[in-house]
Amino acid sequence: MIRNYFKIAWRNIMKHKVFSLINVIGLTIGLSASFIIGLMIYYDYTFDDFHKDGERIYRVVTEFTDPEEKYYNAGITLALKDAIEDNSNFEIVSEFYIERPSKAVNIQNDITLKWPEFVIFADQNYLDIFQYNFLAGNKTEALKNPNQVVLTQTRAEEYFPKLLPSEIVGKTLVYNDSINVKVTGVVENYKQRTDIVFKEFVSHATLLQTNRKRDITKRYWFNTNSNSQLYVKFKEKADLSSVQKLLDDLALEHTDEDDIKYGESRKFKLQPLSDIHFNEDYGTYDWEKAQASKPLLRNLALVALFLLVLGCINFINLNTAQASQRAKEIGIRKTLGSSRKQLIVQFMGEAFILVLISAALSLLLSKWLIDVFSDFVPDGLSYQLFKSPILIFGVVILLVLVTFLSGFYPALVLSKYNAVSVMKNQISAAEQKVGLRKFLTVFQFAIAQVFIIATLLVGKQINYLLTKDMGFKTDAIVSVFHPRAEQEFSKKLLFAEKLKIIPEIKQVSIGGKGPASNSINSTNVTYTNGKNIAKSEMQYISGDLNYANLFELQLLDGRLYRNDTIRELVINETLLHSLGFSNPAEAIGKLVETNNKRIPIVGVMADFNQRSLKSEIKPMALTGDWYRPDFSLYQAVHVSFHNETSEHLKSTLSKIENAYQQVYNETDDYRVEFMDDTIAKFYNREQKISKLLNWSTGLSILISCLGLLGLVIYTTNRRVKEIGVRKVLGASLLQINTLICKEFLILVAIAFFIAAPIAYYGINNWLQDFSYKIGISFWVFLASGFAMILFALIVISAKTLQAANANPVNSLRSE
Amino acid sequence: MINTLLSLNEATRTVNSGSNKVTLLNNINLDVKEGEFISLMGPSGSGKSTLLNCIGMLDSFTGGGYTFLGEPVHAMKDKNKSKLYKEYIGFVFQAYHLIDELNVYENIETPLLYKNVKSSERKAMVADMLDRFNIVGKKDLFPIQLSGGQQQLVGIARALIGKPKLILADEPTGNLNSKQSEEIMNLFSELNKEGVTIIQATHSESNASYGSRIINLLDGNIVSE
Repeated sequence: MIRNYFKIAWRNIMKHKVFSLINVIGLTIGLSASFIIGLMIYYDYTFDDFHKDGERIYRVVTEFTDPEEKYYNAGITLALKDAIEDNSNFEIVSEFYIERPSKAVNIQNDITLKWPEFVIFADQNYLDIFQYNFLAGNKTEALKNPNQVVLTQTRAEEYFPKLLPSEIVGKTLVYNDSINVKVTGVVENYKQRTDIVFKEFVSHATLLQTNRKRDITKRYWFNTNSNSQLYVKFKEKADLSSVQKLLDDLALEHTDEDDIKYGESRKFKLQPLSDIHFNEDYGTYDWEKAQASKPLLRNLALVALFLLVLGCINFINLNTAQASQRAKEIGIRKTLGSSRKQLIVQFMGEAFILVLISAALSLLLSKWLIDVFSDFVPDGLSYQLFKSPILIFGVVILLVLVTFLSGFYPALVLSKYNAVSVMKNQISAAEQKVGLRKFLTVFQFAIAQVFIIATLLVGKQINYLLTKDMGFKTDAIVSVFHPRAEQEFSKKLLFAEKLKIIPEIKQVSIGGKGPASNSINSTNVTYTNGKNIAKSEMQYISGDLNYANLFELQLLDGRLYRNDTIRELVINETLLHSLGFSNPAEAIGKLVETNNKRIPIVGVMADFNQRSLKSEIKPMALTGDWYRPDFSLYQAVHVSFHNETSEHLKSTLSKIENAYQQVYNETDDYRVEFMDDTIAKFYNREQKISKLLNWSTGLSILISCLGLLGLVIYTTNRRVKEIGVRKVLGASLLQINTLICKEFLILVAIAFFIAAPIAYYGINNWLQDFSYKIGISFWVFLASGFAMILFALIVISAKTLQAANANPVNSLRSE
Repeated sequence: MINTLLSLNEATRTVNSGSNKVTLLNNINLDVKEGEFISLMGPSGSGKSTLLNCIGMLDSFTGGGYTFLGEPVHAMKDKNKSKLYKEYIGFVFQAYHLIDELNVYENIETPLLYKNVKSSERKAMVADMLDRFNIVGKKDLFPIQLSGGQQQLVGIARALIGKPKLILADEPTGNLNSKQSEEIMNLFSELNKEGVTIIQATHSESNASYGSRIINLLDGNIVSE
């Protein structure tokens, strides 16, 4: 019986090749999207799910609130651990400090690692919360004393190539030329997906030998460093709310007077281990990896769902439309004794075969798609994940679900046919489903239309972000960063001098980061005009006397500071206003207080955007480098070019690198940034959304138009006689085309009116994130509406013109 | 003693066409004994096909009683009806109504699938039937590759495969030429001699003469026997 069904199903699929192809394409697109996105969701949701009692492990983090906004810090004040350690709800409390040594040397073999990543100074409890498999060494002794280090296998191989773990234990490493540590253990790397990426664990007491000694011994309440991490593991029946209350009380007890004065507060929060992978407020430890985002995953899941539904709709539409062609078979089968249930099973079987074919194609496609969507797909995700039993189970469930979604309704409709009326050629059931098909088609096109409008508007906004004048010069400026370890200021000057003699270079400035960057240096500043105290946050950028000139910062009044090291401020208009001045002239010469020093304002510069256009312009000042020679704020040399075309850029850049190599030894730390690249990076997320939308739009248009094509083929076949008669009576090609197109174009038009408000609402919501945004203009809607109608028209006409062109004699003779 | 296969008692079928009530069959009284070969005759629209469909349980009477092998069909649920006709009735149609997607072998096999006959048994039965109708060589062909007469042979083979007690044939030779018609009618009388009860609807006097009994219908009434 089953074999018979499959045979019939296969023959039917082959007989209606076009319809089958349309169905398979639609379902394949939907399934491929679902597979990939399902893979991503599975990947991200299975991070750190392997730790013993992982659901009881929490990280303690800090949340700051000021009257304007909240700030998040993944670290805690060092004093906190002592204050909570004795609470009976905890099973283990562990602290560690993330500190990257500038170098670590294996003296015996003369192997040096510069800036080794993922080094932490951890207490002994760390190994109890996060359990590692020791390949050599003893867990209880490993981090007990100062000057001990535990290495993961991969890190151990970097320091001590070709040695067995047991041989590595006992060897010595030297950090920063001064701290000797003995290897007391080698542990296996976590094989599962994890955000606990550390590779080198130095005993916590060793911190006292570093320049963090002061912080560690003093344990201040009012100092929060994101590198000082605190993890707790609760007892099985712990009272989390009482712990949270303890933390709240502690935060309240240790409130700074200034905090109260300015309405600021902080809170200690418990962050579940499973939240670390997703929570962007607190981040993960590996900054190079993009953080997983639940909203992004949710949007992706929605896209997959839409594409899948579009594919199913095609299936339903085409199958109910085709029903009359199957009617005869259904009637005969009924007279031969088939029950309705058997017929339903048969038709579902046919749907299942198509779904299976699509699934097989999708699995093949997925391999390729993982590359295409590399921007979205996390690095570690591989095709191999499909082997996991949960995913296999998920795929099977999905296939069954899709089969039901697409196959059940047509099966119901088809199996309902009355045998006698079918035999007598009185088929009306197929006609009655026209309403449903129209509804589904409108639904499809509404989705496609929403995508089109969203794509256009998002693209427009991104274009606006990238091209809007930031208030300073952004193109053809390159920043060359000094080696991180280099403290010698004379070398920076020497490098700048060497750059000045390169003929292609127009201007050179030594300074901090460029005017717009992702890092903020900020402090507070107050101004007393005798009666009132005005307080403001103040971000600062620093540079030499050429900095303002090179970035074309506009000085509104006053002057720049007299030299690099004098304590003088050039403030921007926003700071001017938040300190209570009404015009630039008023502020010049006034003294403001910051960090207990009184510093004069000597100039006022025009506002510019110091971060992405998502955020407002913040109070800011341009300063020199007045902490010299203790330390220097200057990290880079900024360079602008005479010739702004890209032709000479390459040779100029290599000249710059040459100069760098002449001056500095650490040539592997050569970092160059283009200002416009830096700004483009602000909008990585938006670019991703845009790419996602482009794909969604393309695919949804493709599926919907294929579905439309199927319906048009069906309609023209059904009306071939009518077309013939009309032609004989003298109708022109155009008239016949209009006649058939009209029916479908109305549907597309209705879809537009449904889609427009939805798209408007969605985009309007999205734009709220931006301080600077485009207006949602009317013409975008019109254009996308016309585009959709045009697409539909092309698809419809392709078939109707062919039908209208056919010789009417052929269609009429068959009667 | 010869058993009564089915009996109709005041059987009526009316349908609503718009606001009019149309009577298709009017108070039909008919007893069919096992082994009879009945020809229903009458002009187009006289109710021949409707009567056949109702007897075949594809349609139902709207009034009166219908008893098949002692079972009251008019009081049965659809499910039991389908069981009944699956078991006892075979259909032959004017337009053959073979399934286009299936070849000759598979078409003949289909009723057995619905009766859940085992695979090996099915093979034997279909092989017998192909043999009997001399169409073994055509078993892999599809309906479209056969002539009308050949298609009707397959149709009859398919109707017979389930070993029915009653064959209902609606204009079985309507689409055939006279030579093919004769072959089919000879086949029917042969089957009748083997004990199969046949009711056929026909326009043709010569076809009707093969039967043992002729019933004339006009506007839904039996006018003569």
